[in-house]
Parts: sequence; structure tokens; C-alpha cells
Amino acid sequence: MIPTQGKKQEDLLILLEEAQNKLGYLPEELMAELAKSLDMSISDVYGVATFYSFLSTKPQGRNVIRICKCLPCLLKNAQAIIESVERETGIKPGETAPDGKFSFELTNCIGACDEAPAMMLNNEVHVNLTPGKISQILKACK
Amino acid sequence: MGEITVTINGSQLSGSEGMTILEAAQENGIDIPTLCHRPELTPIGACRICVVEVEGSRTLVGSCHTPITQGMVIYTHSPKVLETRKVIVELLLASHCGSCFMCDKANVCELRRIAADLEVGLPRFRVRKRYYPIEDVSPYIVRDLTKCILCRRCVRACNEIKKARVFGIAYRGFDSKVVVDFDQPIDKDVCQDCDVCISFCPTGALSRVKKLGEEKKGKALVISS
Repeated sequence: MIPTQGKKQEDLLILLEEAQNKLGYLPEELMAELAKSLDMSISDVYGVATFYSFLSTKPQGRNVIRICKCLPCLLKNAQAIIESVERETGIKPGETAPDGKFSFELTNCIGACDEAPAMMLNNEVHVNLTPGKISQILKACK
Repeated sequence: MGEITVTINGSQLSGSEGMTILEAAQENGIDIPTLCHRPELTPIGACRICVVEVEGSRTLVGSCHTPITQGMVIYTHSPKVLETRKVIVELLLASHCGSCFMCDKANVCELRRIAADLEVGLPRFRVRKRYYPIEDVSPYIVRDLTKCILCRRCVRACNEIKKARVFGIAYRGFDSKVVVDFDQPIDKDVCQDCDVCISFCPTGALSRVKKLGEEKKGKALVISS
């Protein structure tokens, strides 16, 4: 699924990122294949894939909501934002809506601490969030 | 191999180049507690139990992986070191399941022994504990990850001694876990008749499969009246 000729173990992260962009998630067959061609154990590949919040081992929805779970955002009441996303989408962190419209995840710092609480919707950063803003942003999603 | 002179706890000692602080101390009869470290395995400095104070160093250093250098001044049991070790064990115990009297390894558990040696009392820290189901699918090994302290000794033993690379570390932070393949219960053919990881586990997380009625296989006890 991903060309691995001449690739070494240190290229693993780049290959996983490539696969993530191409397929939207990392299927087990792909990780097993990568492990084989890079001469690594499956558990090591899985370890890298699950360490990074921007790599996903499960199929994701059309829109991926990532709310920062780090301290600055939590101090700025990210919990209220998390709850309002739960209300709007009907799913909890780590879940994907049955209709495939949204995936909801908590992520590590996305570097927008000065404008906390922050979230990423697909590849866009949204900052200074309020529950009101959330419903506006999510309504615009297809 | 050049000779290196270091000062440990006030006395001048000599060691050879490439030696770690831990090795130099042990050679001279100074006992530094270790948990994730085993002489057979690559040191990784994961548990921090073996920290020592080195003059001129901003932080305490892990003695299992820090090589000695000429003129190093080391304190292995200063108040700061002892206090740090104690807190480290307290933190390990805080997220450990903590029911020693229910555990098969109770009296041979290295974590418990170190906690006793350092006189760590009841845990001060309240941490949410994580419970995992016991994995007893394999006929050769039982894993109880609730007792795992993530020292990575099983991972290294399997990689370096058995060279089977069964284990890996997955997830992140509090969710970190020793996994097999895609986080499946352990059930591998290579584990047949191999007890390497079990013998390296400091806690009760890894154990052999105990067969029911094993105690009855011994010589019959005859009571004559």
C-alpha cells in the first residue's frame, strides 16, 4: 500500500504519516506490512502509531475534531468546550459518529496556548473557543 | 582501559574507563537500589530509583547509565537522593494495584522490597488506578498488566536475550502499556518453553501458568498413627 523500497527503520514515522494522509487511518494490515519490510516487530510499529495523536489506528469520520487536553487549555476551561462538542455531535472523545460525519479526539498541545482553549478541526486551528463558537463552527461542517 | 579516580561518599576509589557509576559503586561494596536495571540488559534509566548526586550536575543522575569520569564526586545516599528515591517509589506504588497480600509474588516482589528498604509508608498520592483484564490465553505465560510498572525489563529481555521481539510499548502517558502486536492478549508460539521475560519481571505482572492440582503431584504424605 505504501512503497518501502530502500526505507529504513528511522523512516517509519514518515511512512506512517504518508499512509495516514492517503488512507485516513492506519489499518492493521498496513502496519504489519511495514513491520515486515522494515524488519521491526509489529508491536513497535503499533507503539509509534498509538503514541502520536495525529496518527489513527481506527477509521475516522469526514471531520476530525481535536481538542487540546494540555494544562493551559484546561485552565481556560477546555472541559466546557469538550462537553459542548459532546452535546453538538453526540459522541465522546475517542469516538466516531455512526454517520461518519465527525470523529472527536483529545490531543496533546497544538501550540496555541496563548489563545486557549484551542482545537483543530481537520487541518484548521480554532482558538479562544466558547460553547457558542463551537456550535457555529460545527454547523459549517458537511 | 585507563584508570579513573572518583570520589564516592567521601572516599577515593578507582574504576576503569567505560564503567557506570553503579558498577563502580557495586565493585566497592556500595549498594545502590535498582529496579529497571539488570546487568544482563541495556541500561535505559527508566525508573530513576538508582539516582545519585554528582557534584556540578544540575540534576540527579541515573547511576545505571552514567559513565564515571575522572575526578567525579558522587554521593549515593545523601538526604536529597534518599528523599528522591522515596518519592519515586511512592509514585510507582500510587499507580500500582497495591494488594500485596493477594499477590503471588508478594514476598519476592522487587518493588515491595525496595519500598520496604526505603521505608516508604502508605501512599500520599491518590491516582486513578488502571485495571486490565488478566491475559491467560497462552499455555505458557500469564500477564496481569495491572501489576506492571513499565520497567521494560520484559521488553528488553525478549529483544536482547531471546531475540523474539514479542513486546513493545504503546500509547502515551498514563495510558502507556506493554503490548503484544496490536495490543492483543499474549499468545505466541515463540513463548513456548521460554521463561526469560517471566524471570526478569520485578513484580507479579508476568508469571508461569499454574496448573490446577500441581501441589498434589509431590510424593504422597503418609501419616502413620
